[in-house]
Amino acid sequence: MSGIYVYSDRLEIAAELIGFAKSGGQAAYALCFSQAEADQLASRGADKVIYLKGDSPLPENYGKALADYLKEQDAELLVVGATARGRDMAARVAGYLDCGMVSDVAALDYSNGQLNTERIIYGGAVVQSETISGFCVVTVAGGKFSPVSGQAEIKTVAVQADPRVTLVETAPITKEGVDLKQAASVVCVGLGLEKEADLKMARDLADVLNAELGCTRGISEERHWLPVEQYIGISGAVIKPQLYISMGVSGQIQHIFGVRDAQFIVAIDSNEKAPIFKFADYGIVGDMYEIIPLLTETLKA
Amino acid sequence: MSKIIACYKWVADEADIRINPDQSVDITKAKGKISDYDKNAIEAAVEAAGKLGGQAVTLTFGNAGAKPSIKDALSRGPEEAYWVKAAEADQADGAVTARALAAAIQKIGDSSLVICAEGASDTYARQIAPRIGAILNLPVISSVIIMTFEGNSLVATRKLEDSLETVKVELPAVVAVLPEANNPPLPGLKAVMAAGKKPLTEYSAADLGIDFKPRNQVVAVKGYVMNRKNIIFDAGDSVSRVKELAAALRKEGVL
Ligand SMILES: Cc1cc2nc3c(=O)[nH]c(=O)nc-3n(C[C@H](O)[C@H](O)[C@H](O)COP(=O)(O)OP(=O)(O)OC[C@H]3O[C@@H](n4cnc5c(N)ncnc54)[C@H](O)[C@@H]3O)c2cc1C
Ligand SMILES: Nc1ncnc2c1ncn2[C@@H]1O[C@H](COP(=O)(O)O)[C@@H](O)[C@H]1O
Repeated sequence: MSGIYVYSDRLEIAAELIGFAKSGGQAAYALCFSQAEADQLASRGADKVIYLKGDSPLPENYGKALADYLKEQDAELLVVGATARGRDMAARVAGYLDCGMVSDVAALDYSNGQLNTERIIYGGAVVQSETISGFCVVTVAGGKFSPVSGQAEIKTVAVQADPRVTLVETAPITKEGVDLKQAASVVCVGLGLEKEADLKMARDLADVLNAELGCTRGISEERHWLPVEQYIGISGAVIKPQLYISMGVSGQIQHIFGVRDAQFIVAIDSNEKAPIFKFADYGIVGDMYEIIPLLTETLKA
Repeated sequence: MSKIIACYKWVADEADIRINPDQSVDITKAKGKISDYDKNAIEAAVEAAGKLGGQAVTLTFGNAGAKPSIKDALSRGPEEAYWVKAAEADQADGAVTARALAAAIQKIGDSSLVICAEGASDTYARQIAPRIGAILNLPVISSVIIMTFEGNSLVATRKLEDSLETVKVELPAVVAVLPEANNPPLPGLKAVMAAGKKPLTEYSAADLGIDFKPRNQVVAVKGYVMNRKNIIFDAGDSVSRVKELAAALRKEGVL
């Protein structure tokens, strides 16, 4: 069955990818690796749900089976949700089939057997446009397309899972952070903050502004001072607040990628050469330990 | 002795990239660097060699400009370096890069573990480790934050969006590590001195018989420009600067 094949380990993204495939008028086949996923996908508007059935609980172990199946079906395109699992599986399929792949595209268009994509490189500094003809693989983050609905038949295909990697255990990560994507204002702390207790200074400012607290990657991934949901950037949250105020954030491009759509960017940093000032609407060069409490007081008044 | 191969990429430092007003990209003045998270891959290889036994080595696929990377990489602890030296690296896509690295890994011979970083700081495509695994038909574990070894098995914890998943595999395998996997120390002077004396093996494209034809065709490259007001309050003391900032924000209607 020639057509567009879609896969995501997240049901919502899978539904959006089906919506993308249908929007171009092509047949959309939704792939999955468990009966439960198949049942849920069945009402999401695909032309068919294809359940590759084997005996491993790890989707990654079906990489080879999926590649073989797509080849056998003469698939045109594989579109995968850009999650950790999705990216991994997509790249495996591309590796087995030695074909082109574009990761985490910002825009894509598929017509007449040609895939045209745009994606950012160099942490967000550069946008690269690529085209690929022939079967290829692309990954896309959630939220780009509208899901559709409609009943689909489930086709079960028995396949061999790769037995080499086995599951030992899985533990849920409890989300403790706030959803910065909805925030109207965000106060952001960077590695210029000397110690965890000083977060209070940022919180006080955030309270006055009715803002949420965000941070750079190092604050959550290295120092573990704030939950990972709260770091902003290309590998973290991409936000669109009216106001973003940073303190002790140098403004490396990977972080800035996450705040590009802020209406106003305000930066407080002690280094006048910090790149953040190039990306800011307003800025003060100075010690945040002096400036931020003053700002909080001024805004209270 | 079995090798633990850390793959790193020599990339242009994105902080030095200049975007011209017409959005064309000037990369000529950018300094090279080892892709940020590849330092974690190198450190992971060194740590794995300590626990598992074997020899940590580095592997890069790059043009002649990648020369300074060799000493830098070796100063971080590995014992030997391998370099696929080819001008075609500049035009390589994920398919070509993975083919080149896979061919080199086969040529190097006996290896128990291949370690990549999750994503390179230029492409951040997060493709290469799974692709290498597919090409060499090796098992792959991506998004790894913890590695422990039991005999010849690797037990790895992966960090996914909403779960930590622990998996086990018999070596050899390919792993992609997240930057949270370790904290690479800055190389000391002694390590930098010693790096110059460690062996380097260069492979040419002909040595490896690599097919350099990219699958992806790059049709345009455009700089991202952001127009902001860039107003810096620098007159007067801190109190008056803060007052000016607050006044400006009030005027913009964002308070
Ligand atoms: C592939 C890749 C993906 C990445 N993804 C992300 C991402 O999603 N999000 C992210 O944030 N980063 C990301 N990074 C990391 C990014 O490149 C930067 O390293 C990081 O954003 C820097 O964080 P920072 O600004 O907090 O720290 P630094 O760069 O260390 O800056 C600290 C700043 O604090 C200032 N400072 C120090 N003391 C004071 C003081 N008393 N008062 C005022 N200012 C002070 C300094 O002048 C400096 O400008 C990524 C990197 C790579 C390679
Ligand atoms: N040219 C290269 N030479 C050596 N290793 C590379 C090269 N390109 C990518 N890698 C490895 O693969 C990882 C992921 O790259 P990417 O899939 O391009 O994001 C990098 O972090 C490196 O560990």
